[in-house]
Amino acid sequence: MPIRRLTILCLTTWLLMLAGAAQAQLVVVVNARSGVAAMSRNEVINVFFGRTRQFFNGVEAQPVDMVDSHPDRARFYSALAGKDLSEVNAYWSRQLFSGRQQPPVKAASSEDVIKLVLSQPGGIGFIELAKADARVRVVYELPK
Amino acid sequence: MARTTSDQLEFVRDLSQPSGVRKHWDGRNDSVFGLQGSWQIDPRLSAVVQATAKYRYDRTYNPEIAWAYLRYEPTPSATLRLGRLGTDFFMMADSRWVGYSYLTVRPPGDYFWYLPFYSINGGDAAYALSLGESLVRFKAFYGLSNGQIPLADRQWDIDGSPMTGASVEYQYAAWQIRASYANITFKNDLPIGDILQAYSPDPAASSRYLASRDRRSDYYSLGVVYDHGPLQVQLMLNRIEQGSNSFESSEGGYLLAGYRIGEVKPYLGYSWIRSVQRNTAGRQVIEAKIMADAHVDQATRIVGLRWDLVRNMALKAQWDSIRGEPTSIFPYRSDPASGRWSGRMNVYTMTFDFIF
Repeated sequence: MPIRRLTILCLTTWLLMLAGAAQAQLVVVVNARSGVAAMSRNEVINVFFGRTRQFFNGVEAQPVDMVDSHPDRARFYSALAGKDLSEVNAYWSRQLFSGRQQPPVKAASSEDVIKLVLSQPGGIGFIELAKADARVRVVYELPK
Repeated sequence: MARTTSDQLEFVRDLSQPSGVRKHWDGRNDSVFGLQGSWQIDPRLSAVVQATAKYRYDRTYNPEIAWAYLRYEPTPSATLRLGRLGTDFFMMADSRWVGYSYLTVRPPGDYFWYLPFYSINGGDAAYALSLGESLVRFKAFYGLSNGQIPLADRQWDIDGSPMTGASVEYQYAAWQIRASYANITFKNDLPIGDILQAYSPDPAASSRYLASRDRRSDYYSLGVVYDHGPLQVQLMLNRIEQGSNSFESSEGGYLLAGYRIGEVKPYLGYSWIRSVQRNTAGRQVIEAKIMADAHVDQATRIVGLRWDLVRNMALKAQWDSIRGEPTSIFPYRSDPASGRWSGRMNVYTMTFDFIF
C-alpha cells in the first residue's frame, strides 16, 4: 500500500513537472538598435501600458502586443502585472475611449512579434525564450 | 437598468439628465451607445471622432459628437489636442460613459453628480516626464463648454462658458496619484427669471443676488489609485467652491475597493458629499427656496459584483444604499412632496457593458 501511494505521488509530481515545463519561459525582447540592454519590471509595465513612450535613453518605444487568442498574451500580463485579459482590455478601452492613446499594435504570432520589433528601432515585444534569436535582445525575463 | 425604493424623487446619473429612475426598472439613465473612429494622418498627427447616443438634457437620445479633435505629438512625451475634447475635471471624469472600463455600474454619484460637463471646444497640452521607474504627467486645458443642463422643465444654457484647468499626476508601480484644479465661469443666469418675477417682491434684486452669469465655480480634486494584481483600491476627494449664491460649495469623496476572484470581481465602496448652507437670514422666501434646492448632505454604501463573462463583455450588479438628510435634494430630479422625502433610498442596478 505505501509503495502504491508513493508511485501515485511520484506520478503526480512528474505530471506537475511536465505541466511546468510546458509553460516555457517568456521574455521581453527589443530591437538591438534601441540601445537598451536591460529593463526592470516597472519599466516594462510603463512601456506596455503606454504610461511612457520612451526608453530611458530617449528612444521612442514601439511596443508590440499580441492578440487575445494567443496564449502568450494572457501569460505575459499575468506574470508581469498580475492582470487578467479582461482587466487589460478594460484598461485599454478607457485609454482609447477617453481619447488618451491608442493601444499598441497586436501581432498574431511570435514570428510577427519579432518582425514588428525589428521593423523599428524602438520595437519591444514578448516571446518565448526559445524563440529569441540573435536579431533581438532579451531585456527582461518574466517570473514564472 | 436600475430601480430605487422611493417614488418621491428621481435618481439620475448626473445633472445632465432631466429625469430619472423611480421604483420600477428603468433603462434610460445608464444606457449609452458610442462609436469612435480615428485616423493616423502621419506618425505625429492623428484625428479622432466619437459619437454617442445617450439620454440627454432634452429627454431624447439624439446622437451627439462627443469629441472631434486633432492630436499632435511633437515628441514622444508631449501631446497637443485641438477641437472638441473630453474634460477631466476629476480623475476618470473623461471615461464616465465607458462602462466596460471601470468596476462599478456607474461612477460613484456622490462624487460625480455635480459634474455635468463632458466636453469643451478648445485645446489641451500634456507632457510626461520619466524619473527612473516613476512618471510625472502635467496637463492643462482651456476651452468653451458645450452643453445644457436641465432644470425641472427648463434648460440652463452653459454653452460657451469658459473652462480652464490643470492637473499633475504621479505614477509609480501600482500607485497613481493625481491632483487637479479646474474652473468654469458661467455664461448665463439660471432660467429662473419668470419665477423671480412672479414670487419675489423685488425681482431685480433677487436676480442680482442669485446670478450665476460671470460667476466662477472652482473644482479641486485629489485621487489615489492602487492597482496591483487582483486588488484595486481608489480614494478620491474633491472640493467645489461655487461663486454663485444659487449653489452651495461642497466637499465629497469616495473609497472603492475590488478584488478579482477568477472572472468575478466583488467590490465595496463608500461615498459621501456635504454642501455648506449659505446664510439666508433676511433673504426673500423665494430666494431661500431656490437656494435650498442646491443642498446636499448624504453618504452612500456601495456593494457590487462585476462578472467578465466573455471577452469584452461584462455583467454588473450593484446595490447603492443612500443615507442622507431630508434636505439633501440637489442630486435628484423632481421635487418631493413637502416632508415626504426621508433622505434614504436604495438603488438596485444591473448593467451589461461591452466593447467591440
